[in-house]
Amino acid sequence: MIVRRRLSTGVRALLALLLTCLAGFPLYWIINTAMTPTNDLYQGQQKPLPDISRALDLFSVLTTDTPFLGWMANSAFVAFGTTMLSLLMATMGAYALSRYKFVGKGPMGFLFFATQMLPEALLVVPLYSLFAALGLLNQLSGLVLVNTAFAMPVALFILKSAIDNVPYELEESARVDGCSPLSILQFMVVPLVAPSMAAAAVITFFDGWNEYLFATTFIQDRSSWVASTGLASFIGEFSTPLDTVFSAALVFTIPAVIFFLLMQRKIVSGLTAGSVKG
Amino acid sequence: MRGSLFLNRENVAMTVTTPVRTQAPSRPPSRRRRFSWTPYLFIGLAVLYLLVFAVLPLLKGLDLSFTNTRLLNPTAGKYIGTENYNQLLSSGAFFKSVATTLIYTVFTVVGSLTLGTVSAFVINRFFPGRTLARAVMVMPWAVPTVAVVLVFRWIYNDSTGVANAATAALGLGERGWLTDPNYGMLSVVIATVWKVTPFVMLVVLAALQSVPEDLYEATRIDGADSYSTFKFVVLPFLLPTLRVVALLMTIWSFRRFEIIWLLTGGGPVDVTTTIVIDVYRHAFSNSELGMAAAAGVLGLLLSLIVTAVYFVAEQRANKQNGVHA
Repeated sequence: MIVRRRLSTGVRALLALLLTCLAGFPLYWIINTAMTPTNDLYQGQQKPLPDISRALDLFSVLTTDTPFLGWMANSAFVAFGTTMLSLLMATMGAYALSRYKFVGKGPMGFLFFATQMLPEALLVVPLYSLFAALGLLNQLSGLVLVNTAFAMPVALFILKSAIDNVPYELEESARVDGCSPLSILQFMVVPLVAPSMAAAAVITFFDGWNEYLFATTFIQDRSSWVASTGLASFIGEFSTPLDTVFSAALVFTIPAVIFFLLMQRKIVSGLTAGSVKG
Repeated sequence: MRGSLFLNRENVAMTVTTPVRTQAPSRPPSRRRRFSWTPYLFIGLAVLYLLVFAVLPLLKGLDLSFTNTRLLNPTAGKYIGTENYNQLLSSGAFFKSVATTLIYTVFTVVGSLTLGTVSAFVINRFFPGRTLARAVMVMPWAVPTVAVVLVFRWIYNDSTGVANAATAALGLGERGWLTDPNYGMLSVVIATVWKVTPFVMLVVLAALQSVPEDLYEATRIDGADSYSTFKFVVLPFLLPTLRVVALLMTIWSFRRFEIIWLLTGGGPVDVTTTIVIDVYRHAFSNSELGMAAAAGVLGLLLSLIVTAVYFVAEQRANKQNGVHA
């Protein structure tokens, strides 16, 4: 029995090692490529272990030779705007869906679920003509507006499942004491669901941070590009050294990975709750 | 502007009503029967927002699909009836893109579900280094798609890529991963599965951990072997989750654009041209907005059908369970 258990632990560890290598390799390869001199890369001289001392130079090359930092700043603006707008609407909407019964609740819940199904590639065409008419093309704020439409329902489902788990009695008594629903939400419910708010913020932030399709279609002006468009513009282009391209990819990736790791439990519970209950 | 005013007023309101005590008067929530505007005020903004930025564009897209609108002069389109649809439905190219979408979807869904479930089972029990393994295994989900594409293009590179170095070392020769029509789809599926598997793993893991500990205990006391424990205890807990994840993965595969577009642009020789790639090409390469919208509408119909089939199957399964239980 003990031998068998030890064996199965061994098999498990081995399988885990294999899966970890599969999952980790492309990430490691971004780091490795960033730290290998471009000439070596093009001559097929990429070594399993790169020269780590190059890490220090990477950042300065990135800032002096490419507009990447400016693009990152644009991405941050878009992501931050998307987060703020999404959380504001999602918190209030989630509270209504969680705490009230009202006519039209079912169809409204369906509306939030259905946006998950709409292909961006279909909406990008009519949105393009809508934005052209409103003068929102080439505007970062335009990207905030479209990204919010896709990110907000996800945040709403995360927050709804969180509010569902907050006991109602506290609010009931506050309401009897004459507290307005909005202040109950703001000062009682929001502090209680703060961890889920943080998870929703991370999800919506990186939704805006990573988005490419709308960004590449709506923003033509090179200086207004976001990092995803800028990074994609390096594809199939040879004037920017490959190690610089990959350091840009690395700098773009790291924040997303770190925040996701910090928040993953909450993010997953919210995502599944939203999709199950629809 | 209006938002901040709003909040200020609330702050003032709050200073008046701060001393809230929690002496719970056990009044049932059903007291709130009277019609109230409150929920509509709360949810109105979000609903209005989606109406403007999702439903309105959708309707506009539907409208466009019956016109011959062109990108360079988007206001000059004329209604041409179902001409776009006729053209699409009579062309082999559209059905080929539907077939490509289905192939891409089946392979990504099966691949990520299998790999994700195996990963979840591996991570669910303790082994040395589990925390680190788990962290590494969820990371791909967080990597921005554009970065994923960059590194996979480099891995797949014909002359210097590590994929060819590996197959050559194994004596399998070299391949044009992104240039050979026989391998284009495989390469795109591998990159996609790599990126989306962590989601499956995390969801399945959450389901596994929701299996009550005393159920395991009871089956162990009853002397069940690990196979019947799996079949009668774990699987019933897992199946509903797997079904939902499969649906989500399917819908997401139907609409996935970036990873395919940036890896292959729909090539080589159209082997990875899914419906959404086709839509985008119609719109922004051929500048036929009307045709693009029509293709998009048909694609959306396809995912609606899949979702409907899913819900019908789900309901039938529930009914059957009810009969047996």
